[in-house]
Amino acid sequence: MIPSDHFVRFYNEVFKFLDEKNGLEKYYSHISSHQEFHCLKEFSEKKLRGVYDYYVKIRKEENCGMELRLEKDCIYLGMTACPSLAKAIDNDAGVCPKYCLHCPGWTFPLYRKAGLFQVKDMMGLENPRCRSWIFEDREKAQKKYDELIETCPPEMIKKNF
Amino acid sequence: MLRYQENNELHRDFHGTTNTTLDYIAENYGVDALKSLLRRTGREVYKSIREKLAKGDAGELIEHLNWFFHRENGKYQLTVDENEIRFEVFECPAHRHLKKLGMPISPYSCLQTSELNAGMCEGTCWTSSVEILGGGRCVQIFRKKVSK
Repeated sequence: MIPSDHFVRFYNEVFKFLDEKNGLEKYYSHISSHQEFHCLKEFSEKKLRGVYDYYVKIRKEENCGMELRLEKDCIYLGMTACPSLAKAIDNDAGVCPKYCLHCPGWTFPLYRKAGLFQVKDMMGLENPRCRSWIFEDREKAQKKYDELIETCPPEMIKKNF
Repeated sequence: MLRYQENNELHRDFHGTTNTTLDYIAENYGVDALKSLLRRTGREVYKSIREKLAKGDAGELIEHLNWFFHRENGKYQLTVDENEIRFEVFECPAHRHLKKLGMPISPYSCLQTSELNAGMCEGTCWTSSVEILGGGRCVQIFRKKVSK
């Protein structure tokens, strides 16, 4: 059994394997479908409140350093200490340089399916931190995206719409 | 001492992602590729356990089995003697959680154990075997090769 504590180190090996075969995107899509089992109903029905409740649970169970705010129009999710990347780095097998990309890889399609618009600042792929904004309103999400593109390295700014 | 110290909360749903990943790799790349991936994970991620085994020291392996199954409320019995470690699992915590989620258990699930254990032992004076008994039960044996 791979202990749930060590799952991300296995995940990291999976990414290395799939990257060699140019198979990451297809796998992200598969994982996104799997995650629908855990969150799609909540996200679709409760929208931002559903996302907020999910991440309150994740913050605790995954021991995240995370600033989570449910605001009027959006959720702000500031990952200040991502335990997933931190474990992949603290790993005798070595970190997959694309490790962080799995996160938008599975969340973007899921939020899209739930009718939510996500903007993400990756803040580099080597540090266990990032920022996300999730909106119900596409125009507001676009406005946030435009603002970030002006002030941050554009290649780090991603959106799901 | 364990290389990876884990003392905080558990996110058991990771067993679900492991389960779906095992199926995905086997179905898209073949069972041999899955075995190779798991073997590599055992060998490289648990390099510290492997290097100690190579020196004849099974201490970290024993601590690893005991601690991580204890953390997941596994039902098991660990018996250690000089040349053999017998780890009898009466209820696999991963299988228990998958059942709780209502997810079908991957037919490749137990390869996690057999290949990871084999990877930890690779190039050392230890061998591993796993007897799958069904219903989340198995017997994992690590045996030291005794030179005559």
